[in-house]
Amino acid sequence: MTAAAPATLDPRVDLGRGLVLPNPVGVASGTFGYGFELEQLVDIQRLGAIFSKGTTPRSRPGNRPPRVAETTAGMLNAIGLQNPGVEAVASEYAPRWAGWRVPVVVNVAAEDIPGYVAVVRRLAGVPGVAGVELNISCPNIAHGLDFGQDPQAAARCVEAVRRATPAPLIVKLSPNVTDIGAVAAAVAAAGADAVSVVNTYLGLKVSLALRRPVLPGAGTGGLSGPAIKPLALAAVRRVRQAVSIPVVGVGGIQTAADALEFFVVGADAVQVGTATFRNPAAALEVLDGCLAYAAAQGLRRWTDLRATARPADAPGPTVGPGA
Amino acid sequence: MSRPVAALPASDLGRAVDRSARVSQVLDLGAGSWELTLECPEIATRARPGEFLQVQVDPAPVPLLRRPFSVCRADPAAGTLGIYFGVTGIGTARLAGLTVGDEVRVLGPLGRGYSLPPGPARALCVAGGLGAAPFPFLARALSAAGATVHWLNGAATAGRLYPVERLGAPVDVTVVTQDGSRGVRGVVTDVLPDLLTAADRVYACGPNPMLAAVAALCASAPTPVALEVSLEAPMGCGFGTCLGCALPVGGPEALALCCRQGPVLAAEAVDWPALLALPPAHVA
Ligand SMILES: Cc1cc2nc3c(=O)[nH]c(=O)nc-3n(C[C@H](O)[C@H](O)[C@H](O)COP(=O)(O)O)c2cc1C
Ligand code: FES
Repeated sequence: MTAAAPATLDPRVDLGRGLVLPNPVGVASGTFGYGFELEQLVDIQRLGAIFSKGTTPRSRPGNRPPRVAETTAGMLNAIGLQNPGVEAVASEYAPRWAGWRVPVVVNVAAEDIPGYVAVVRRLAGVPGVAGVELNISCPNIAHGLDFGQDPQAAARCVEAVRRATPAPLIVKLSPNVTDIGAVAAAVAAAGADAVSVVNTYLGLKVSLALRRPVLPGAGTGGLSGPAIKPLALAAVRRVRQAVSIPVVGVGGIQTAADALEFFVVGADAVQVGTATFRNPAAALEVLDGCLAYAAAQGLRRWTDLRATARPADAPGPTVGPGA
Repeated sequence: MSRPVAALPASDLGRAVDRSARVSQVLDLGAGSWELTLECPEIATRARPGEFLQVQVDPAPVPLLRRPFSVCRADPAAGTLGIYFGVTGIGTARLAGLTVGDEVRVLGPLGRGYSLPPGPARALCVAGGLGAAPFPFLARALSAAGATVHWLNGAATAGRLYPVERLGAPVDVTVVTQDGSRGVRGVVTDVLPDLLTAADRVYACGPNPMLAAVAALCASAPTPVALEVSLEAPMGCGFGTCLGCALPVGGPEALALCCRQGPVLAAEAVDWPALLALPPAHVA
């Protein structure tokens, strides 16, 4: 091998409409609060992005406890979108984000289209809000349409939101559908700048001792953590095949190797969620590992890695370290 | 800070660190209860009574989540921390199987602990079974602060009593067991009214029904006595970002985060009927 000049990696990732992340590793909605909680424990300014807790038109107290239950290599949650409401986020939190290096994307949830529109309108043009991530897929609020279940409904919601805000718009997809590719294509056509893939999988934990579900109400919750990684990876690959807009991969990422698998099947950026609960520095460790891999591979841009996985039956030797 | 749901003060994470800690002692206390000593000088010097630790019991993601434990002992001179627990599931079973020299990750100190009296005071610690966990540390801190300490140590049976001889602090002890195998036969609330007459403040930790009964007695005593209780909730993170550890508290905004606004709460802040309606924190 001839000694190539060391390539310098441009670590940034462009998610469209001016939202350029300083690096491709962010933290997932609902696992990192509004960024302030962990400020004293980890260097949050090194993150690629913070995706905030789901934010609704008015404050919500959330579901009654218990709200979380551990499963094998995973966990179920039924938090019920506890949040202070968009007004507090826009007027109290955003001014503090405005001085941060890390972009903060506000995750938005509502029970109907006017609700989504109201939240994104309030956030439009607010300094400190780098973009919005539309959660059309929360399995944990009892009423409210689940727009993420149906391509047409998802598209209607995204069209209305697109008209209401000039902000970068990422749409977070539900994996609890027959064909996530069809939903992705519909929201891309409706004006999404990027998609996040995936939200939690609907799951159930039953206590044999109590002969009832562990979580209250419907008993179901959203499954996250390493248990869902293979499912999320398949969803990301399917979405990559269906759309050309940027894809943010999320689901079960714990290590840099996990994240790199998402890149090679088509993600432009990733989010680390539940892994933060085990290790508050998980996202930063994922980032450092990805940067080390990029250096070893001589990458110049992350897109050099995107969707480079070969077909399962491709002939020939393996490529590169860790392949 | 995301706004606390209830108007209760929340901890900050300013003293918390995440460290690998070496197991230096594994003590089988019988009846499925254990005390583990961990070498962790930074947390040992930072911890305060009633605060807790999040312990990652396995480097593999099963069990996925860390397990919360009250700081049972903190010895800054030796640089060690102690935790006291019963085997209730896969996480605690794994911990009980550790041997000296093993390493676990420990995040802490976390949460809001007990408040110590400003001057000399007569303190009463009421422990139910494994609820004794925070009291060795608290009792030492109380007596170092000039308080006299009475420990009311209760359990179902003698084998489940925390061994008070391990306390290492000058305390008066009253022992109560439900089966009468040691001390007074009965439950802690049978003997509490008498002890309350000689107490300025009460600290309690144990099963929720016991805590509710202690709270009722403290509030209805001829001279009501201030009570702080340490509560449990299933936790996703332990540091305030998952919002999983909600506990019912009184007032219009009816939930508090156990990990940030607790685990120690003033008894009058707790919505006792709602708390008693919850399933136990460890369900299998
Ligand atoms: C406790 C908890 C709360 C969550 N809250 C939200 C939320 O408010 N909005 C949202 O879009 N996703 C939410 N999620 C989903 C995560 O952002 C992520 O999509 C999912 O957990 C899968 O990633 P992971 O396996 O890395 O955690 C939540 C997940 C967890 C575990
Ligand atoms: S355990 Fe996650 S917020 Fe308390």
